[in-house]
Amino acid sequence: MPKDVDSDILCFLRKSENGLLEIGYTVRKVASSQPLVSEKISFEVFGSEYSDEDLIYIHKLEDLKKRYTCVRRTRGDGNCFYRAFGFSYFERLLQDKKELQRFTDVAKSTRDDLIKLGFPEFTIDDFHENFMEVVGKLESEFTLTELTDTFNDQGLSDYLIVYLRLIVSGFLQKEAEFYTNFIEGDRSIKEFCNQEVEPMGKESDHIHIIALTNALGVPVRVEYMDRGEGDQCNHHDFPDGSKPGVILLYRPGHYDILYT
Amino acid sequence: MNSPLSPIDFEDKRLKIKFKLEKRLQKELQALTKDPPTGVKVDAESIYRNLSEWIVDIDGAPESLYEGEKFKLMFKFGSRYPFDSPQVMFIGENIPLHPHVYSNGHICLSILTDDWSPALSVQSVCLSVVSMLSSCKEKKRPPDNSFYVKTCSKNPKKTRWWYHGK
Repeated sequence: MPKDVDSDILCFLRKSENGLLEIGYTVRKVASSQPLVSEKISFEVFGSEYSDEDLIYIHKLEDLKKRYTCVRRTRGDGNCFYRAFGFSYFERLLQDKKELQRFTDVAKSTRDDLIKLGFPEFTIDDFHENFMEVVGKLESEFTLTELTDTFNDQGLSDYLIVYLRLIVSGFLQKEAEFYTNFIEGDRSIKEFCNQEVEPMGKESDHIHIIALTNALGVPVRVEYMDRGEGDQCNHHDFPDGSKPGVILLYRPGHYDILYT
Repeated sequence: MNSPLSPIDFEDKRLKIKFKLEKRLQKELQALTKDPPTGVKVDAESIYRNLSEWIVDIDGAPESLYEGEKFKLMFKFGSRYPFDSPQVMFIGENIPLHPHVYSNGHICLSILTDDWSPALSVQSVCLSVVSMLSSCKEKKRPPDNSFYVKTCSKNPKKTRWWYHGK
């Protein structure tokens, strides 16, 4: 059944804390004036959106400040995990040529894996070629400014996002037997990938992060800044016990990039 | 970074995006002309003249409720294709009588909105539509057809669909 939405605000019913139904709303479209990946910003600027009375967040910000120097924001368009991961990792690759060599080989091999899984060749090639073109430029051609410009040019940036999504989907489908245990409801891995991984704008959960870090061999640390108790942010390394170079900040529904 | 683009840069960017879009659509058209799925036909000549709007002929599959019927699907591609889904609807005299197809040609199919992925293609949309028709057990309109047809936008992508039971 259809529901009309010409507006950017979607209404929905939710259960409030006292158990009553109330109307909530969510803004669907994100102001496109916000850059896809921002410049580095200080914690002072980053924290200015929180009220001084918001003690939980103020304390957790203080905690982050002890361990990190600054943040890059990403646009909250549902692709932020992939955009934050991609940018942060590529930024590292600009400095680390040995890792770049390893990654180039891994990224090249993902194409055949996807074709074997039955993805249509000409759509995969389109995204694979565009992805590899950017990876190729990390060797010597790109400066940090050019990398930032590429990630902020939606026409180029989204090709990278799609390919990262396809890598996650390919990995989950290849390892379906194991990951099927983590899918809620009665969906198959393929259905899950078709609905929650491949479409643009679908948000990422632990399973997406685990799949991407495993598929590419790139460990990630996520610092969690939520309303949970305590004055500190908890973090989790994917996989456990790794030494991640990519560090992301998670606030409910959104990922940004952290710098030590 | 993030400074306003000069008119030349802007034009350059716009052309690059347009070029990528056209390249992708041409590849899709070649693939579909060379190796069309059963019951799917495109008139490549008419499409090469205007790549952003395609009409695809669909035959009702043998041994389905639509055997012997012919339908026309219209595809419209916006500048954000393939990141945004194409606009897809039935047009012409014969709109299939189906629980997910409204009498104005709009189709309630999740891959056309929520579940669209840039790795899908015209070909995969056609296959899904053919399979949707083939699996139909009873020819009828959606229960809210008359209300929907009166109130909806011309563009089916403007509809927020609830997909109950696909």
